[in-house]
Amino acid sequence: MSRTKVKPMDKLAKRLRDDAARIDVNISDELDRRLEASLLAVTPEMADQRSVTPARPLMFWWASTMTGVAAAVAVIAIMNWQAPQQPAADVPLNIIAVVPEIDLKAEAAVLTNPLQEELDNLESDLKKAEEKVRRDIGL
Amino acid sequence: MTDELQLIAAAKAGSADAFCDLARRYRERLLRFLLTRCANYADAEDVLQDSLISAFRYLHSYDPRWRFSTWLYRIAIRNAAKLRGPDLVEVGELRDEENDPLLQCIADSETENLWLNARQLLNDDVFAAMWLRYAEDMSVNDISKALDRSASWTKVNLMRGRRTLESNLSDVPDQSEAYG
Repeated sequence: MSRTKVKPMDKLAKRLRDDAARIDVNISDELDRRLEASLLAVTPEMADQRSVTPARPLMFWWASTMTGVAAAVAVIAIMNWQAPQQPAADVPLNIIAVVPEIDLKAEAAVLTNPLQEELDNLESDLKKAEEKVRRDIGL
Repeated sequence: MTDELQLIAAAKAGSADAFCDLARRYRERLLRFLLTRCANYADAEDVLQDSLISAFRYLHSYDPRWRFSTWLYRIAIRNAAKLRGPDLVEVGELRDEENDPLLQCIADSETENLWLNARQLLNDDVFAAMWLRYAEDMSVNDISKALDRSASWTKVNLMRGRRTLESNLSDVPDQSEAYG
């Protein structure tokens, strides 16, 4: 008769089961009394005790939603009510009287002055050169 | 099972005696499991007591589509985690050799107990999944509910846990003859 081959997993499972059973545990008399006394002192909650509760969360949900919406409306109303209707500061009507006029021409003259002098010098040099040529040719 | 359903119905109606009868069926198994998750024996007993009290108090919320043991284990796992605190350290980090409740419950001749290795090699949740599967014979769906994990997480981690233990088993002297 051939010996039945046991799968490794089954062998492991069997050993785990057997080893668990070898863990020697017993409830002492003291623990037995303690457990019984504590259980006798417990008042179990009844199913009808919790049947009252389901309506409450829905009511709370509505109450909190309405409070939130009311608060949001109030904040928006206050923000709009306090919005400024006028400009933040008065702008002076006569700006020209307040702001000094900038002398743009003076600035341009200062900038072009050297060039003008150079041009004058060149023109006088040209005239001198013409007079010298006329004298040389006897005109 | 019918007897169990009758006890549950009576306990739901407020009978503490019926719940005590019900608790007697599971308390040793629960305590054995809690010894693997608590730092010492006293803590495991406290968690067992708290779990049974919570189960009785909130029995109205028990869904009969679940196995009663699945529901109890779920409560016990939560209570054990609560006792450990929010930092969620692994159980192994809490325990010292002298106070180790699991070692206390394993005879000296049984120190090759695979659950001792499992506790060292696997993290808490994978260990719990393995325990519920092999010590409690729970289905993958029941384990998922007890651990508050998805079925795919449970399948994957059961497979990983088995592989880890198998590879560890191949390192230690084979005891398969005892089971073959």
